[in-house]
Amino acid sequence: MNVTEKQLTPDLFRPAEQGTEKSDEITKPSISFWQDALRRLRKNRGAMIALFAIIFIIAFSFIAPLFSKYGIDDQELMRSNLPPKIQGLEKIEFLGVNGVDIRGTNPYELKNVPKDQYFWFGTDGLGRDQWVRVWKGTQISLYIAFLAAAIDIIVGVTYGGISAFYGGRTDDLMQRLVEVLYGIPNLVVIILFIIILDPGILSITLAICITGWIGMSRIVRAQVLKLKHQEFVLASKTLGAPNGRLITKHLLPNTLAAIIVSATFTIPGAIFFESFLSFIGLGIQPPTASLGSLISDGFKSLRIFPHLALYPAAVMCILMISFNLIGDGLRDALDPKMRR
Amino acid sequence: MLRYITKRVFAMLLTLLIIATITFFLMKLLPGSPFKNQDKLTEAQKYALNEKYGLNDPVPVQYINYLGKLAQGDLGLTFQFNGRTVNSMIVNGMGPSATIGVEALIFGTLVGLIFGIAAALKHNTFIDYGAMIIAVFGIAIPSFVFAGLLQYYVGVKLQWLPVAFWNGPEYHIMPAFSLSVFVIATIARFMRTEMLEILGTDYILMARAKGASRMSVIIKHSVRNSLIPIVTILGPMAINLITGALVIENIFAIPGIGEQFVKAIQVNDYPMIMGTTLFYSFLIVVIILIVDILYGIIDPRIRVAGGKS
Repeated sequence: MNVTEKQLTPDLFRPAEQGTEKSDEITKPSISFWQDALRRLRKNRGAMIALFAIIFIIAFSFIAPLFSKYGIDDQELMRSNLPPKIQGLEKIEFLGVNGVDIRGTNPYELKNVPKDQYFWFGTDGLGRDQWVRVWKGTQISLYIAFLAAAIDIIVGVTYGGISAFYGGRTDDLMQRLVEVLYGIPNLVVIILFIIILDPGILSITLAICITGWIGMSRIVRAQVLKLKHQEFVLASKTLGAPNGRLITKHLLPNTLAAIIVSATFTIPGAIFFESFLSFIGLGIQPPTASLGSLISDGFKSLRIFPHLALYPAAVMCILMISFNLIGDGLRDALDPKMRR
Repeated sequence: MLRYITKRVFAMLLTLLIIATITFFLMKLLPGSPFKNQDKLTEAQKYALNEKYGLNDPVPVQYINYLGKLAQGDLGLTFQFNGRTVNSMIVNGMGPSATIGVEALIFGTLVGLIFGIAAALKHNTFIDYGAMIIAVFGIAIPSFVFAGLLQYYVGVKLQWLPVAFWNGPEYHIMPAFSLSVFVIATIARFMRTEMLEILGTDYILMARAKGASRMSVIIKHSVRNSLIPIVTILGPMAINLITGALVIENIFAIPGIGEQFVKAIQVNDYPMIMGTTLFYSFLIVVIILIVDILYGIIDPRIRVAGGKS
């Protein structure tokens, strides 16, 4: 006790500052909603890994085909059904990329393929380089992903926004149309397009354009309806803000979180839709390939040449899981209700 | 409530009418005639055939007749087999399709509930993380990839189960399981979120405080209340099962509607494509309607929102 008394000299103390202004002062710099969300997203390990996986796949799908001197449809029956072989890694037995197929034979030697010729993912039944085909197929999946997200944001947000903002008769009319469109299954729309046009990327694109945005428009409409009558919008209106300013300054920023989350969840759905159609033969037609059609072709010879199905299936799974994980991460980061 | 139901039924009928109309006019737009050997027919024979099938009538009359037949559930004749109706093809394919669909739904729901409840009760333990990792994989991995790999490893390599076809109970296991993965994942995630929310409420604390056993609180209070919102995901899930079955049936060579449908598209059997399309639309629209009405009964707030906004 004595020691502490000696150490605590009066000059160590000063009176506490009083007054309401002082106690209201915030000492730490305030962070905005978006900074907060970004911080939360960064902490989500799964989402960050997924983000890097997607960046990697996007970069690879454009760069990787350049590593091969073959195009997507360069056929050569002399080198058909070669198992994968990668320089450097071929010495390591268990990786299975040494150019030996599952029966233990080495078709590279049997078919007199030049020694310096490597097919990293092997070749298919027509001797086409599977490496090029897988990454070109990934490009199609990514195109579909981009398209679905763009349609979602452009059409869905505009439609839902207009419907909710103007309300009344406009809203009634627009919602009746949505109700009817919502009832028509995706599959039906695509089949109608296949019958008029032909199976292919165009039919899928049109089908996504027609039905893809409905979910988003409903979400945006609900959000805008909720925000429209809140005090801050009313205040802005009273101060004479024009509609354009209300929409861009107040309604859109407050809906943005829901839009981003919804758009990220549309992407894996659209990728699945395309690959599903290609898998049952209604999607991308040969000679072009998509991941779905590659997997479908690969399954036909899964017993003898497993590499044909396994590589595109692996890319497909990584892509789907990554987009789902990012969607989950963004939802947890942006949805205040999910905060723990 | 009655007003809400009538309104929804009208919207449903309108949707179906639009689908049927588009279908009809597309069929009219297609080139060619439905009679295979038309080159060998004389003009009189062609006329007689057209007369028999009502193709000489003006298009509006044909359209009315078509709608009339459709209202009675008559989908016309298939091109693939002489004289067989689309209806009989669909009825034939319905058995296997419905069987694996229902099996997948029951199995998936049960396992999903168990996963979800376990994850919520053991929140932030490795059981929770494990269940949620399985759930993310189950939602993300396309059913056809999963089914194909399952077929290869369990059917071909290990030879535990028959690879394909439809000859008995053991043939159901792999297709139903691959179809149920999505159901398991969706229900598990949903159930976990609901349970966590409910476990944190005051009435659970109250029930524990008054001395109710842990087991009875979990079953009587938490699980029961978390089951209610599950109705909302039943609709999307049923649609997913229907489209999922399309691929699964093709992979496992099950003679269901999905398999016939894909075959019909490959051989351009238009009446069959159209009939099945209409059948699928009908199924999906009715499922959405039933789910919405069910939810309206369970949660009155939906009705109000549905009526006003």
